[in-house]
Formats: sequence, structure tokens, C-alpha cells
Amino acid sequence: MTVLAVDGLVKHFPIHGGLLQRQVGTVKAVDGVSFAIARGETLGLVGESGCGKSTVGKTILKLIEPTAGRIVLGGEDITALRPGAMWPHRRRIQTIFQDPYSSLNPRLPAGTIVGEPFENFGIAQGRERDDRVAALFQRVGLRADSMRKYAHEFSGGQRQRLGIAKALAVNPDVIVADEPVSALDVSVQAQVLNLLIDLQEEYGLAYLFISHDLAVMRHISHRIAVMYLGRIVELTDKRTLFARPLHPYTEALLSAATAPDPRRRRRKKAIVQGDVPSPARPPPGCHFHTRCPYAVAECKVTSPPLREVAPGHHVACHLR
Amino acid sequence: MVAIADDLPLPPRRFSLATAIRRNPTIAFGGILLFLLVAIAVIGPSFVGDPLKIAPVNRLRPPSERWWFGTDQFGRDVFTRTIYGSRVSLIVGLSVGAFSSLLGLAMGVACGYFRRIDGVVMRIMDGLMAIPSILLAIALITLTRPGLGIVIVAIVIPEVPRIVRVVRSVVLSIRSQPYIESAIAGGTRNAKLLWRHVLPNTLAPLTVQATYVCASAMLIEAGLSFLGAGVPPEVPSWGNIIAQGRTFFQIAPWTILIPGGFLALTVLAVNLLGDGLRDRLDPRLARRL
Amino acid sequence: MPAVSAILEVRDLRTQFDTLDGVVRAVDGVSFDLAPGETLGIVGESGCGKSVTALSILRLIPPETGRIASGSIRFEGEELTTLSEEAMKRLRGHRISMIFQEPMTSLNPVLTVGTQIAENVVRHTGASKRAARERAYEMLDLVRIADARRRLDEYPHQLSGGMRQRVMIAMALSCDPRVLIADEPTTALDVTIQAQILDLMLDLKEKTGTAIVLITHDLGVVAETAQRVVVMYAGRKVEEAPVEVLFDNPLHPYTRGLMRAIPRLDVDAEEGGRRPRLQEIPGLVPMLTRAIVGCAFAARCPLATERCRAEPPPVVDVGSGHTVACWEVAP
Repeated sequence: MTVLAVDGLVKHFPIHGGLLQRQVGTVKAVDGVSFAIARGETLGLVGESGCGKSTVGKTILKLIEPTAGRIVLGGEDITALRPGAMWPHRRRIQTIFQDPYSSLNPRLPAGTIVGEPFENFGIAQGRERDDRVAALFQRVGLRADSMRKYAHEFSGGQRQRLGIAKALAVNPDVIVADEPVSALDVSVQAQVLNLLIDLQEEYGLAYLFISHDLAVMRHISHRIAVMYLGRIVELTDKRTLFARPLHPYTEALLSAATAPDPRRRRRKKAIVQGDVPSPARPPPGCHFHTRCPYAVAECKVTSPPLREVAPGHHVACHLR
Repeated sequence: MVAIADDLPLPPRRFSLATAIRRNPTIAFGGILLFLLVAIAVIGPSFVGDPLKIAPVNRLRPPSERWWFGTDQFGRDVFTRTIYGSRVSLIVGLSVGAFSSLLGLAMGVACGYFRRIDGVVMRIMDGLMAIPSILLAIALITLTRPGLGIVIVAIVIPEVPRIVRVVRSVVLSIRSQPYIESAIAGGTRNAKLLWRHVLPNTLAPLTVQATYVCASAMLIEAGLSFLGAGVPPEVPSWGNIIAQGRTFFQIAPWTILIPGGFLALTVLAVNLLGDGLRDRLDPRLARRL
Repeated sequence: MPAVSAILEVRDLRTQFDTLDGVVRAVDGVSFDLAPGETLGIVGESGCGKSVTALSILRLIPPETGRIASGSIRFEGEELTTLSEEAMKRLRGHRISMIFQEPMTSLNPVLTVGTQIAENVVRHTGASKRAARERAYEMLDLVRIADARRRLDEYPHQLSGGMRQRVMIAMALSCDPRVLIADEPTTALDVTIQAQILDLMLDLKEKTGTAIVLITHDLGVVAETAQRVVVMYAGRKVEEAPVEVLFDNPLHPYTRGLMRAIPRLDVDAEEGGRRPRLQEIPGLVPMLTRAIVGCAFAARCPLATERCRAEPPPVVDVGSGHTVACWEVAP
């Protein structure tokens, strides 16, 4: 059962300049992204900086308004909803952020932060709210009596747990997790990843898991979408992606990623050269052609569409 | 089964006044000084005589046991007048501080939060900042009557933009914080967002700015009174005490130096308090844990 | 002990900081050697003291709050802890260089890239401005920056993150240092750029013979780049071994815990369709403001005994260059 479907999502940011601050350019942060997530599934969205993955997350949450495309949440089209009309739908989609230090209000007690969604949607007030918050705290592995503490009194991993508790409060269908473990130490990362997997299995949550870390992706995702400069270049289930990647960029990522195996360095394929182009001036045709070892003439001219070349395996490349 | 994440062991923190004073000498000094001056302004007049009482026979006496600060050209006791004058300065300073804070807070939050009115209102603020309060006061007084209220209004108007700017910049920086986005995603709507998340973070910088506005207002009031555009001459204000002592400065300097010294001391106290609070409340300097 | 005489010898280094909560023992008795031309990886999580160790070597600890409390650091036989500040300044950027995580904050934003490199050359070698500029060009070319002549006159903000890091490396190597200390040099970079920079560093090491101390929290980076690895925890060294030995046979419970906690990129971890749990290391890093009695890892260690909690284990050599500090593994 699909809980979230995105179709042709586009987000352009205008660049202003000059004396009168007119629009002089556009940053095409997200340039036509489509995918669907089913109940209980994790879709990993992986890419490097500037690929637009965070923007996809924020646009789906309607924290940013999409420029074009459709977002369908639980069967309802929320694309054009203004903030007021969007509000009731927020119960179905929640978020966890990357930075455990700035994603919690430093002036509020932890219990208030986690309990706010209960108040917002009128689910529980006063004593009942406190009881529910205490239960959430325990569910994510925090002591219930630390509800009165302030954010800075928790460690980084504990703060992420607070963020997770808050996201769980309203029993959402989907959670958009934007780099939730990137700022954590390895040992703490393991705790949080295990927690996320447990919660998914217990509550049937769907995750849109955004990260640049392929190893984490491999562990937690069911399917993975690889993004480059605003577009999805490959989308398939996890096993296939790592065993038989089709897109040259995916190959480059897999080759460049490090793994704790000293013998890997000698088996490395060629390392892709060049820098990621600016999303304000993307190369024409296929965005990756400037760094692609296989690029041919057509790649510089036409942009390849995302096609299903095998069951469940989508690639955007002229040569596949 | 989820492993319980251990709490960070927190060293016990007990509040000790002595330590607080030692760690924040500027706030302590400014605060105590200001407190004393306010005390003088509030209860002082009950203990001294009549500031308006004229006794020409005692004119221009230097400070002595009978007249602690000497007398002016009308034989009025400078000590008494100075004590009464402190009331005016502090009332003006605190009122201007309070009113411009309230107005500035409201407008600053509105500008920082609602993009559409931001452009228009900020340009108006820029215009207001360009008006020198002294000229504005003179204009207002000409149109109405001189009085404490007019003086306060005249000083508030050009000071409000300063506070609006500070509050607005704080609100803008808070708006982009992940915890605001997190609250929005969690279903928090504008009113609660402003009240619970934005406002508390503006109070610290606002307080600091308010102290500077207060100090500035006291100086401006003194200047206005000095020029005769402030409070009516029969109400003793440090400014008009200095003005009236101008002509006899060379033979009776105490008529100027004493009230001037008190003014400087009060402004110093408020500024120290502001500086100390700024350092203490600056989130970047805030201690972790 | 390596047969060749070490270019850098650190012995029982202890570095401390004064904080409002007490004295933090950031580095608490660390010893290791660096052989000429070798790549040594120092790995550990945040707060383990790896960066502070690097800063201590170059005496960059801010004197108002911290100090090297005891220990010895010998570079090419010379004791650095007692050297004058003047002599240290001649050393930094010349014979021992350092690069940091954030190139944007390590480069002066108002000077061109060429000027900054040339300045370093002039200061340490007394070369003429023209010769220094030529050297700057050589260095930019060496770090594989295309169109190096033009780049000399660009400012840091005009360059991408990867290029800025290359500039940092160029600057660090401009005076032919014997040791390069790299503190999380690729942590802030994208994966593909990180691969380029690590590849570059190894390549340059071959060409110039500079020894590298690579500090990172990323076991993958260390596995693919270092020749020997030191694992640190709570300011102490817990294990040291040649890289293949460490990953084939980690001995210290902390090292083993770390390796089991990492999600694997190269291994298909799924068993029967279920995603397995990562091994967690329970608990938290101990507060460094209190003197740690016994082994620093005892509170979180599955093998801990009374002895572990009472006495700190010594570093013991278990053969083939592998040393461990653990009572249970190497008594």
C-alpha cells in the first residue's frame, strides 16, 4: 500500500542580483523526481552535496513550496495546499533532522518538545499528555524522568532519540529522515539505526531515508534512489544496486566509498575526476556527462529519462 | 528490546550569590549602582526639602555642611534639586526603554516573520532613524505643550527603529533554525510558534538593547532640557539644572558638575548592566552543559 | 619497534585543559612512533583525544586554557616540548605541516591562493617573491589543480571544497616537510571528492617521501589509506597494529565493538530477508574531568573484571607489530 507518491517534483530557487535585486538565474535544486514508498518500506535517497536530496525532503514536507510536480500523501494530493490546509495532513508525515544540536529548541524542556504534537492536534492535554510523553521516552530508550531536562543536558545520540520520539508522537505513516545519523559517532550511530529499524517493524512506518553514506544506506534501506544534480539517476532494490549497478555515477560512488577492508584499496576501479557542477549551471543533456568515463555525443545533448530497464530497476542513462 | 541510553552524569550545580557576582562583575556593579540610584530617586525626595524654594540670601554658596552640594543663583539647594532631578531622568529613561521595547518587539517580530510587510516597514524605520530626536522634540513641543509625556514620545520615536532592527535580525536567524522547521512539521501553527519558540529567544538581545536605549534616552532628555525643549523649567531635571547653572559656571562650578556627575554615573550604571548582560546572554559564549 | 629510527617519537604524552567543570585530561599517556615515509592512522570517536594529540605535537594548544602536562615528543631526535616558540614557528609549515578539516576556515579569505602559498615559502626558505610564486605554481600543479596559473590569483571562495583542500595540501607541502599531519582532511568532503584527495595524498607521499599522520573517525578511510593504525579511546591508546593485522584480528574490545557497529558497504549483511542489528556499544564515553581509575573502557566492556576497574592495563606487544592495552586479551 503506497503511503507516499511523488511525481515529477521540481523545485527551483531564484537567484537575485544586481541593483534592483531582479532574478538573474535559477538554482534547479530538484529537477523532476518521481518515486513511491509503500507502508513499512525504507526508500534510501543517496547523493552528494548539491544533488537536491535534502530539498526533496523539505518539499515533500511542505516546508518549502514545490515549483511543479505532484505530492500524494495517503492518497491525497497535498501539492498545492496552503499552510492552513496542509496542517491536518501533517499528522501523517513527520521528520527527523540531521543536527541533534540545532533541531531541538534550547529553551524548552525535552518533555515539552516531544509533547508538542499532542497539543497541536488536540490528541492529549495535561496529565495524559505527560503520560504519553513518558511512554515515548521509554520506547526510544530514554529515562522517563529526564523529561524535565533541557536539550543541552543530553548527548548527541540522546537528542536524536528525542527527535525520533517527537516524530512518533502522532503515529505518522511516513517519516522523512534527513541525515539522521551523520552527525553521530559510530557507536551511537549503531544504536540509533537499530532503534529506527525496530520502530519500523513495530509500527509499519515508511521511511524516506536521506543520506550521503552508502554503508548506512545498505544497512537500512529496502530500495535506494541515487540522485545527481537534481535528478534520480538510478532506482532499484538494495541488493541489485550494490551487485549490479547500471548508472556510471552509481559505479563511481560505490568505487569511491571507503570500507573497513584494507585490501579494498588495491581493487579500486578508476576514481571519477572533476568536481560536482553547480546546480545553478547544470551541464546540458545528461548532467553527469562532464565526469562520465563512457559519455558519447548524445549524452551532451539530450537528457536521458528514468526508464525501467529491468523489473523494479530504473536507470537514466542512454547507454543502458 | 531497546538499550537504555545512559544519562550524562551532570555535576550538581548550586546557585551561590558570591560566585554569581564574581563571575559577572559588570552586571553586579552596574546593577547595584543602578539600584542605589533608583532608591535615591524613589525615597530621596521624602528626606530632603523643597527643590523650588528660593532663598536669595544663600545664593551661590559652595558645598558645605549645611548645603551638601552648595546652592545655585537663586539660593536653591543643589543637593535637593539633584535628588529630584534623578526622578525625571530615571522616569524618562525607563519609560522610553519600556515603550520602545514593546513597540520594537512587536514590529520586529512582525517584520522578521512576515516577509510581505518587512520591506515597507523597514524603509519606514530607516526614515524614522534619520530624524534627530532633539529636532523632533522641539517640533512636537511647539505643536503641543511642553511636558514629560511629550518628551518621552519624542525620544521613543527615533529609538524604536534601533530595537526593531535587532529583534528582526534575531527573528530572521531563528526562523531558519531546524527546530523551527521541526515544530512546523510537528503541526505547530504560527501563533504558538511565535509565542513559544521565537519570542523567548528575542528577550535576551532585546533586554540588552533596551538598556542602551535607556541610557541614550537619559542623555537626550538632559540635552533637551538643557536647550529648554524638555521638561518645563519648574520641574527640576539634571538637564535644566545644568542649563541654569551655565551662566555662573566659573564661580560656582558645583551647580553643573554635581548634576552632570550624577547623570554620567547613571548612564554608566545602565551601560555596564547592558554590557554585562550582553556578554552573559550571548548564546555563542554560553557554556555547554 | 621499527628497525629504521623513527622520525617522530611520542612518549607518554599528557595534555590537559582547564574548563569550568575541572581539568580535562584530553590526552592521558599516549605513546607511538612514526617512521620516515610512513602513513600512520590515528582513529577514534569524538573526544578521544586524537586531534589534541596532533595539536600537541605542533605545540598549538592555546596556552590560556591548556598545556602539555608531561611527556616527550621527539622530532628527528630533537625534543619539541622544550623548544622555544621561535624555533617552533620555524618548524611549523616547514618541517612539520598540518592540514585541517575545514579548508574554508583555514585559508585566509582575503588573500589569493597563490599569495598564501608563496608567503609560506618565503617565510621558511627566504626565497625571492618570484621564486616563491613559481614554487606555488608547481605545488598547485602537483596537487592536480587544472589551469594552475590562473588559479594562483583566485580567492578561496572561488574554489570548490575539494579544490580548497588541495590548496591546503599544496601549502602544507610547499616547503618539503618531513611530516604531514592531516586532521580529518576529508570529513567535510563528498565521497567522490574524498576518494580523489586520499588518492592524491598517497600519490604525493610516494613522490616526496613525507610521512603522514592521518587522524580520522572513519575506519574505512583508515583501512584504505594507512599502513599502521593507532586506536584511541578517552585520551589513551588502546591498540596499535599494521593495518591488515588490525582489521583481520582486532583484539581490544573497543576496537572489536567499533568494527561490529559499522554498517558494511561491501558485505551483504541480510540474513533471510531481515536486516540484522548492528552491535551496539552500550553506555557513553566517560567524563574526562575526573581521573579515570583503571581501564578507561571498563564501564562499557563485556569482558571487564575487578582488575580492569582498578588498574589501567599496560600496552603489551603481542607480536607482528601489534600492541594492545587490555588485561583480558593481553595479560
